Parts: sequence; C-alpha cells; structure tokens
Amino acid sequence: MTGATAPPGNRHATALPAPGEPGRGLLPGRAGRAAGLVLAGLALAAACALSLVTGNYTLSFTDAASAVAAPAGSEADRIVWHVRVPRTATGVLAGIGLGIAGAVMQGLTRNPLAGPGILGVNAGAAFAVVVAMSVFQVGALTGYLWYSFAGAALAAVFVYALGSLGTGGATPVKLALAGAALSAMVGSATTAITLLDASALDDFRFWAVGSLTRADTGQLLVAAPAVLIGACLATAVRRELNTVALGEDMARSLGTRLASTRALAAVSVVLLAGTATAIAGPITFVGLVVPHIARALTGPDYRWIMPWCVLLAPAVLVLADVLGRVLIRPEQLQVGIVTGLIGAPFFVHLVRRRKLAQL
Amino acid sequence: MAPVSSFPRRAASALAGAFLIAGCGAPAPEQAAGEDALTRTNCGIDVAVGAPPERLYAAYQPGIEVAHALGLSDRLVGTAFLDAEVLPEYADEQAEAEYVPTLPSREGLLETEPDFVISGYNGFFAENSPDRSVGTRASLRELGVQSWILSPLCPSEDGLTDRAIDPGSVRVGSVYRDLRDLGALFGAEENAEQVISDMRERISAVEEQVEGAERPSVAIVSPGEDGGYRVASGIDFGTRIIEHAGGVNAFADLTEKRNVDVGVEELVERDPDVILTDACCDAGLTTQDAEDEVRAITSDPALEGVTAVAGGDVHPFLFADRAAGVRAAHSIELVAAHIHPDLVEQ
Repeated sequence: MTGATAPPGNRHATALPAPGEPGRGLLPGRAGRAAGLVLAGLALAAACALSLVTGNYTLSFTDAASAVAAPAGSEADRIVWHVRVPRTATGVLAGIGLGIAGAVMQGLTRNPLAGPGILGVNAGAAFAVVVAMSVFQVGALTGYLWYSFAGAALAAVFVYALGSLGTGGATPVKLALAGAALSAMVGSATTAITLLDASALDDFRFWAVGSLTRADTGQLLVAAPAVLIGACLATAVRRELNTVALGEDMARSLGTRLASTRALAAVSVVLLAGTATAIAGPITFVGLVVPHIARALTGPDYRWIMPWCVLLAPAVLVLADVLGRVLIRPEQLQVGIVTGLIGAPFFVHLVRRRKLAQL
Repeated sequence: MAPVSSFPRRAASALAGAFLIAGCGAPAPEQAAGEDALTRTNCGIDVAVGAPPERLYAAYQPGIEVAHALGLSDRLVGTAFLDAEVLPEYADEQAEAEYVPTLPSREGLLETEPDFVISGYNGFFAENSPDRSVGTRASLRELGVQSWILSPLCPSEDGLTDRAIDPGSVRVGSVYRDLRDLGALFGAEENAEQVISDMRERISAVEEQVEGAERPSVAIVSPGEDGGYRVASGIDFGTRIIEHAGGVNAFADLTEKRNVDVGVEELVERDPDVILTDACCDAGLTTQDAEDEVRAITSDPALEGVTAVAGGDVHPFLFADRAAGVRAAHSIELVAAHIHPDLVEQ
C-alpha cells in the first residue's frame, strides 16, 4: 500500500496499474497471459479426462473413450455416464462457481480474505441443510440440494439487505459485517440443532465436508444455467471491479456506478456460490485461493483474473477429486478434504515464492 | 424381599462412594456388597451383586433385547434408544416399559433409581462420548449402580469409547457368554440357558439347510448422504450372520473398520449376488421401512448391472439385525431365507 495515487482518507486503496497497463503477474505480457490461459484450458481438459478414467471400477482410456463416444449399455457405460460424468460435471460447475464468486467477492470488498462465504452463503446453506435433516426429516435418500440452495440465497439476500441499510448503500465493510453477523447467528443455530439431534449431526458431518458425488444429472441440468448466468453477470462487472480496486471515491470519479456494480456482483455471487454449495457442499478453500493464484499469475486485472478462475478453479477441484479416489482405496476421500490437505500447503508455497499480487 | 435387601446395600455403597470421594480410603464397593456377593467380570471390571438387581435400566437395542430375553422385563425401570422395533416376541413387554428415544443424561438415568444398567454400546459410559453419556461405570458404582456393556463392545478402559476386543473375533458365542453372566447375576440362569439353547437350535437348523449349497456373495449396504454407499466390513458381526446363513460378505477383505464408506463404483466392481439394506434408527422401524433403501438402491442407474439389482435380490434388512445380540438367530434365519430361498423358508 503505497497510497501514492489514493486520495487521503481512503485507506483501502492500493497502488495499481491502470487497467491495460502491464500487470505484475508471473506471466509477462499479454501474449504470455494468453498462452498461459491456453495451458490452463488444457489442464482443465486433462483433469476432466483423468476424472473419466479414474475410479475403483477399472476402466482403460479406450474403454472410457468408447463409453463417452458410443454408449452401448455396458457396465463401463453405466460407470462413465452415471458416476463419472456427473461427478466431473459437478466439479466443473462448482469450480467455476466458487472461483468466480471468490474473485468477485475479493474485488468487490477489496478484502484479500474474502471468499464466497463472506455473504453468509455457506452458513445459510448449512443451516438450511441441518433444518431439513432435523426438522423436516429429509433423509439422505431424497437429498438436501434445494434446501442448501434456498439457504444460501436467503442468507445472501438478507446480508445484502442488511448491508444496504444506512447511508452509502451496500458498502464492502457493511456487507462483510452483515455477513459475519449472519454467519455467527445462523452458525450457532446450526450447532445447537446438531447438538440436540445427534442423528442429524451424523449426515451433516458428511455434508459439511463437501463432495462431488452428490448431485445427479437432473440437478446438474438446473445448476448449469444458474452458474452460466452468474458467470455472465460477473463478467459484465469485470471492468468496474478494476476501478473499485482503486477505492470508491476514485471509482466514482472514473464514472463507475457503484450501486449497480455492487448489486450485479452480489446477484452473481448468490447464483455462483449458492449453486456451487448446493451441488457440492461448502468447499470454501477453492473460492479463496484460486483467485489469488490467478492474480499471482496474471496481475490484478479482473479482465484476466476472471477467465483464469473459470479454467483453474474447476481444474483444481476435479484434480483434487481424482486424487481423493486413489489415495485411500477402496474408500474415497471427499473432495473438500483433499482441497484443504493438498491445496493449503501449495498455497503457502505460492505465497512464499512470490509476494502475492495485491488486490 | 429383594428390594428390601438391596436398599441398605445401595445406601452402603453410596456411603462408601462418599468416603472414596472424601479420599478416606473406604473399602471398595464390591466388598460393601458383602461376602456372599456374586461376581462376574465384564470388560475387565468386576460386577458384584449381593442379590439379583431389581431395578434395571437398559440402553440401546441389544441391551434392551437381552433384558427382555432373560425375562427381566418387569424389572425394567427405563429403556432408551432403539434402532428398530424390538423382536415381535418382546413387543408386548417393550410396550409396557418406560422408553425414551434419546439417551438419558446422568440425572435422567439416576432419577429412575436403577441398581443395574445394561448398555448395548460403550459410549453410554464414556467420559468423552459423541452421544450422551451418564458417566463412567466406576462413578455409577460409587452410587451403588452396577453396570454391564455387552462384551463385544468392551472399551479398553472404563470411560473410553474404543474397543478392547477385536471386533473380528466376535462370534455368536460372545452373545451366549453375556447371556450366561447376566443370567447368573440376575438369578435368571434358567432363562439364559433356555435362550442360548433356542438360539443354538435355530442357528444349526439353518446351517443344516444351507450346508453344501453354493455360497453367494452378500453386501450389507446403506445409501449414503453423498451418493456413495456404506457397507458392513469383514470384521462386522454382519459378516458372521451372513456366514451362518450360508453366504460370504462381498466386503469381507475390508478389516480396518466395521463400517466403510465406499463409492458406487466399488459396489459395482464387487458385484454382490445379494444386497441387504441397513436401515436405522427409530423405535418404530420395521422391515417395511427398509423398503425406502431398497428403492434407492434399485433405482440407482449406476447399479443396474449389479447381479443383485438385475436379479431382484435387494432385500430389506435393518442395522439392528446385524448387532451381536439375542437377535442373531432371527437375523441368520432372515438372511438365509433371502440368499437361499429354495432351501430356507422365510
């Protein structure tokens, strides 16, 4: 924080090259970033391919390929189409949702520790799931997907409404405070229910870890457009996020309409993080870390960070899930555990290698 | 007569307990029970009674059912936490017993003034239990309340929730041993012998019927929260039940934990001939209620090709059915009827 260009009194502003200027990422220049993006795309494709051939049921590359290309009703086809394709698709959708939502929240609140959870979506989803388990007696057989989406959306709407009260509208600080307050309140209600109802606790423990094997094809077909719309909304505000990073006064003087930017960004986060949490559970880590990795690689320009998150976050999530399938065979490690166990040390390594590009 | 004689004893034990707390080195409660006390060892703890206990509290399915089986129904002052409906032969007795669906707190337990507590699982007496606990067995003994954990689930030390006995070593014989010991303590030896010989007879009848027949692979499976499945491993008592019934557990080689969460692919890979569900935990749960799990398994498109699913061999079964308890004979008959329908009648 050199504050050289920031107006006095705006303590959050960071020195930032104007959009379009050479960034400070690891990848030099526009060509380097574009080439890196292609590589990231290939990495995602490779992760998906691995995800289709890895599992307890032994399938060769050619078996899997022919099952994808020309299903004929064999056992291999069933494994690929009913287990591995939905699982991979869940990873891709949830990854995109968490990655972009994390980037948007970090940009919008100018808080490097912001993640999709800051609007209270994880706490809201968790509460809704526990209520579904304990009060409505929804069992594992029916699933909690709609409850968790409703919980995430309600929490975000509530936080946004609460954060909009008073002068100045939904400022980042008020949003973060409202999110923290709601998370604390709803979180203790969740804990209270799980303490009182041990049988609800049991399923909840599994839900809370995060897993890609929960959603079925029908649910994914609903989740996909929600993620798509959320991603489009986020893309629409990518320039504005760049100016918001300069501080609110600066952004306003550059002609950014803060209220509409915040509203669009918040709706996109609800759609993205809410859907991701609904289909995969609260995998917070990816949403926090992947935007930082993207920023470290490409610099602080959200026009680059966004596409990187779109490719990198699902690649990370799908790869983590593939690892979870092989690490403790014949059991499976849930993806939320793997992202934490392997992702965290990697993240620390990255931070130590290079001072993270500032927001 | 018995209650009269047991009261002073409880008072004496309580007094002894008070001395112990005061650190005065009072005599151990076992000695307080008198010279003629009858002692049986359970999980490394000497359980001594001067006269047959009259006020019994039973927790968990196996604990409650063993009480009814020994004919102690009218001595029950409370029962808690059933996983399913009790066996039909105990239904009338259980209907008359006090019952709470969740485990009692220590106060809740002591309010019923028990002089003996039987628990089906060790968490009930744990100091650090995920479920509710009533305190260690030693702390109950200080109040004159003796206790018993069905021995397959003995912890390595009083107050712990681990298991001292390798679960894989539990046999039907382990159930008989508990029945004999409890029968002796409660003055119900004849009932115990009767139950044991009934179980023996029923189990060997099944074994004769399935002898020499092909042994299909059987999996005990419960649909999990995230689309995967939980299966009973080789060290679970369910494996013994399947073996007595003339089958083999499709997951017998897994021996690290009793219940293993496997993905749907592992189940397809193992391709069991028969699948039994694992429905749990409600006092009114019956085999009919397990049909939900049957439907969930048969409607999973990924399992369509599994022999058990394709052949219509997915059958309702309850978690309670695979506990090491007096239910074993019933469970073995049930499983045998499912996996050898041509040899064993349902």
